[in-house]
Amino acid sequence: MRGRDRWILMVLGVWVLAPIGLLTLRALTPSWRYPQILPDATGVSAVLAGMSEGRLKSAAVTSLWLAFATGVTGTGLGFLIARMVTRAGRRLRRATLALALFSVIAPPLALGVGLQVVLLSLGFGGSRTGVFLAHLVPATGYLTLFAAGVFASMDRSVEDEARTLGASRRQVWTRVLLPLLRRRLIEGLMLGGLVSWGQLAITLLIGGGVVRTLPVEVLSLVRSGNDQLGSVAALALSVPPMLAIGLLTAGARRTGAVV
Amino acid sequence: MSEKGGLTVVGAHVAFGSRPGLVGVDLTVRRGERVALLGPSGVGKTSLLRAIAGLGGLVAGAVGVDGRDVTSDPPERRGIVYMHQAPSLFAHLTVLDNVGFPLEVRGASRRQARARAGALLERVQLGPQATRAPGTLSGGQRHRVALARALAADPAVLLLDEPFSSLDPELRADVRQSVVDLLDDHVDASPAVVVVTHDVDEAAGLAHQLIVLLEGRVAQIASPADLLTTPASIAVARFLGLPNVLPGTRKDGTTVVCALGHVRAPGVPGQVTVVVRTNALRLRPRRGGDVTGTVVRILDRVSGSTIQVDVDGHRLLGVPEHGFSAAAGDVVDISVEGTALHVIDVAAEQRRDA
Repeated sequence: MRGRDRWILMVLGVWVLAPIGLLTLRALTPSWRYPQILPDATGVSAVLAGMSEGRLKSAAVTSLWLAFATGVTGTGLGFLIARMVTRAGRRLRRATLALALFSVIAPPLALGVGLQVVLLSLGFGGSRTGVFLAHLVPATGYLTLFAAGVFASMDRSVEDEARTLGASRRQVWTRVLLPLLRRRLIEGLMLGGLVSWGQLAITLLIGGGVVRTLPVEVLSLVRSGNDQLGSVAALALSVPPMLAIGLLTAGARRTGAVV
Repeated sequence: MSEKGGLTVVGAHVAFGSRPGLVGVDLTVRRGERVALLGPSGVGKTSLLRAIAGLGGLVAGAVGVDGRDVTSDPPERRGIVYMHQAPSLFAHLTVLDNVGFPLEVRGASRRQARARAGALLERVQLGPQATRAPGTLSGGQRHRVALARALAADPAVLLLDEPFSSLDPELRADVRQSVVDLLDDHVDASPAVVVVTHDVDEAAGLAHQLIVLLEGRVAQIASPADLLTTPASIAVARFLGLPNVLPGTRKDGTTVVCALGHVRAPGVPGQVTVVVRTNALRLRPRRGGDVTGTVVRILDRVSGSTIQVDVDGHRLLGVPEHGFSAAAGDVVDISVEGTALHVIDVAAEQRRDA
């Protein structure tokens, strides 16, 4: 690695890791007030307390449920939509991918307010199902774009040859496509789960404060001045993305792919 | 669909996406026979194969396999295997399971499939590679595995789409020979084979019949020898790159006059095109013959066996008489074997095109 590259990597590392480091420090510190540069004392008591805190446990379970449901459903939908548009005409493909992109880049508040109108009128307000359906919108957008890239790079001749070798449409899926896509499906599952895991604005707008996920609890704790427990919850919030990166990197190392 | 055994295509119209492509293609390939589809890039060779395989593009016409109309059957029920130019081996399966794939999807147990696949791999000399991943094989090995897999499906028809084009030249001849050997060896149930290529030499070495596709139609169906000596049209002669194509006139219904003199070739009087094989145009030292030419260059410098001569402004290729050594600028006598001369009626061709 050249000197300049090393500097770029170092700056990036500090930029990304410094907030996590400070968050960890804050989670271990009962009191850290201005103008102290570093806290007087640190300890794991708040972490232990956070782990046994009923509301955080319950929020974590809700978040995990939502992440799993959104990941699985979003991956299924995203891959199906991408598969269809890959074979569709250029106009339909462009329109679908533009819609998917919109659901990704639209401000969550705007998306949430729009979804609120629909989901509340359908009676899904304040329910986990409603929040799940709302999370599904940006997650499906992400996963459609992700899967469109996967299918675009996939050689269609694999399917054609499988068909003429005697495989039915269903067998092409079960014996060829799904095994070939396994790694990408797992990545999609993680991506979809993480999109749901970090949602706040949409959760608040559709869940109405009744559905309490980990991000909702973090906001609540920080707003009530419980910075240390808030930091513990925020730290817990950042664990799945780090785990996902670790798993993807390990998987890539095993298969020789680039993450 | 009265033709028994092999492939029958009747009046096939094939579209390329939304634009028209091939029109009225008729084709019959018996089991054990190999036919090569020749034509310039974009003429629709691959589209025709895909249409025959049931992978789309057939607008009208019928496809029959072993006397059965399969036009409306899905690809997996046609008895036709289609092999792409770059073999699409399944990356998640071993070499052995790739070859066993067609048997397993047809209901064979894994053990049965592997036993048959193992035997086929032995025939392509790849038995030791059975447990390897396809990605670890060389280009030639991948082709042989793909062919073994295709034969495992026991197809009535095998479609090979430019099967050797992705290989290095030195590997190409080797793999081509092993394909021919394997197909010839597959006597128990030899499929009808259709090969797409734009290499005339490759087609001639591989196939019993050649089919030339030009401008959306079948321009000629002939054996390799006949195609190269008696092209059906000027367009076919040009596509094949035949060097000795020159204009002439049939004046009295029996004799054609061209730059090579008077040649007996009965037919309708009018404009004709004369095609002469390179090895039928004999060059010898000047001894006062009727037709002469000036040597332009020696094309095969090692053997001196192919010489370009200028005859009345037409650049032709010929071969020297035994022991004759010519140099650029020499004036030489030219003779043509009468039977090697092929005459195409220009008017008849224009009527056919219209």
